Amino acid sequence: MEISTEREGSLLVARAGGRLDSINAREFDDALKSAISESDQVLIMDLEKVSYVSSAGLRVILLTAKTLQQRSAKLLICSLAEPIREVFEISGFDKIIPIHADLAAARASIG
Amino acid sequence: MSWKYKILVVDDEPDLERLMLQRMRRDIRAGLYKFVFAHNGVEALDLLKEQPDIDLVLSDINMPKMDGLTLIGQIPKVQPDIRSVIISAYGDMKNIRTAMNRGAFDFVTKPIDFDDLKLTISRTLQHLVEWRDALKSRDKLAALQNELGVASKIQQSILPTRFPDRPGCRIFANMKPARNVGGDFFDVIHLADGRIGIAIADVSDKGVPAALFMMSCRTLIKGAAIGKTDPGEVLHEVNQLLQEDNDAAMFVTVFYGVYDPDSQRFHYANGGHNSPLVVHADGSSAELPLTGGIALGLIPDLDYENKTVTLSPGDLIVLYTDGVTEAFDEQENQFGTQRLQEVFAGTKPTDVQAANRSVFEAVEKFAGDTPQSDDITCVTLLHGSDGG
Repeated sequence: MEISTEREGSLLVARAGGRLDSINAREFDDALKSAISESDQVLIMDLEKVSYVSSAGLRVILLTAKTLQQRSAKLLICSLAEPIREVFEISGFDKIIPIHADLAAARASIG
Repeated sequence: MSWKYKILVVDDEPDLERLMLQRMRRDIRAGLYKFVFAHNGVEALDLLKEQPDIDLVLSDINMPKMDGLTLIGQIPKVQPDIRSVIISAYGDMKNIRTAMNRGAFDFVTKPIDFDDLKLTISRTLQHLVEWRDALKSRDKLAALQNELGVASKIQQSILPTRFPDRPGCRIFANMKPARNVGGDFFDVIHLADGRIGIAIADVSDKGVPAALFMMSCRTLIKGAAIGKTDPGEVLHEVNQLLQEDNDAAMFVTVFYGVYDPDSQRFHYANGGHNSPLVVHADGSSAELPLTGGIALGLIPDLDYENKTVTLSPGDLIVLYTDGVTEAFDEQENQFGTQRLQEVFAGTKPTDVQAANRSVFEAVEKFAGDTPQSDDITCVTLLHGSDGG
């Protein structure tokens, strides 16, 4: 699992790579927590390089969405590979977290 | 005054105490080291017993009452978790060798070069810190393994082991737990009028909190299933109760269906779980239509849509968790639903237990030596195959 972040004003883009599973879910959570600052209004998680998301990985993503929501900030997800998009669809989480085809579409949706 | 490390210096020369305090004064003032002194091995052992916070012993060899070599050998019996450094005469390899054999970490020679001594002390303490960290992680790991053992017992204890096995209605279920990960469970619930409730579920995360969440989820499903006939209402109620006070955002995907052997109907709702397969008597198969429900435990007031399929005699319903379809082979390919369908292609399912076993065998063969990363669960239901 790798993670890198880039900040543009109140927008934070986090790129993750590799597998998000029960083995590194906590590491992923810690990395996100230390990357996100109070002034970030939107977090876009770019999961293009992610090959697998287990339920433990999904839980970290949901927890992040919940934490952001509590201070009226929001989480967007983009660039999901087909099998991972299916994971979001089957679990119904695509109804909770907005999913965009790519980073440009996610950015455009912020307005 | 506080300090980071406490060092015991053992030497019968009275001058050394004054010299040490003088040459080390910067590190003492900075709060890095605190020095205590003993004049022979016996005094040193007494001090070690009195002051368990000593980190390092710096000892001369030739001393009255108890010499340094004997002291070095005695230290582990008093304080196993500290390091010792011996002070020897220049070139006295025999004694140095003996000291090292008895557990000394390093040595310095007389006359003491204080720059070298500082370096030796800091290197020894660094080693000690790393050693203590390693011990801590080992303890943590042991605690974690212990916790996961408890979780795994909880998980095993809630799984039913007896299944309906009568003409016209046969059910079999099995779960193969992944090492250290416990999230899957299933239940077979006997309802009024010969109907049977079947639940299969996957809890996010692992460990004792997840196992307790699983336990309450299973109890809630059972309670709701007995009180309500509508699968969607069952999921609605379970979700409502699970999402209260769920700050950890744990969730569970649940498929719940009610099978009525008399009317040949299978009535179901789905909370974010993989859609089961229906395998027909000719070996062809299809996924049950999705109902679009969200996993349980996160959002209040969710409605879960019901769907109904009418079964033909010989139909086999295969319920499973993502441990089946997301099993990886050595090239990191996933097993997928297509391979699951191929397990049954061209065969007529007649034995519910054999059908169940064939799923596990296909996944095992596919995965090869790749370690199993998630629980694998499969429930099979065979409808009216033997004249029922």
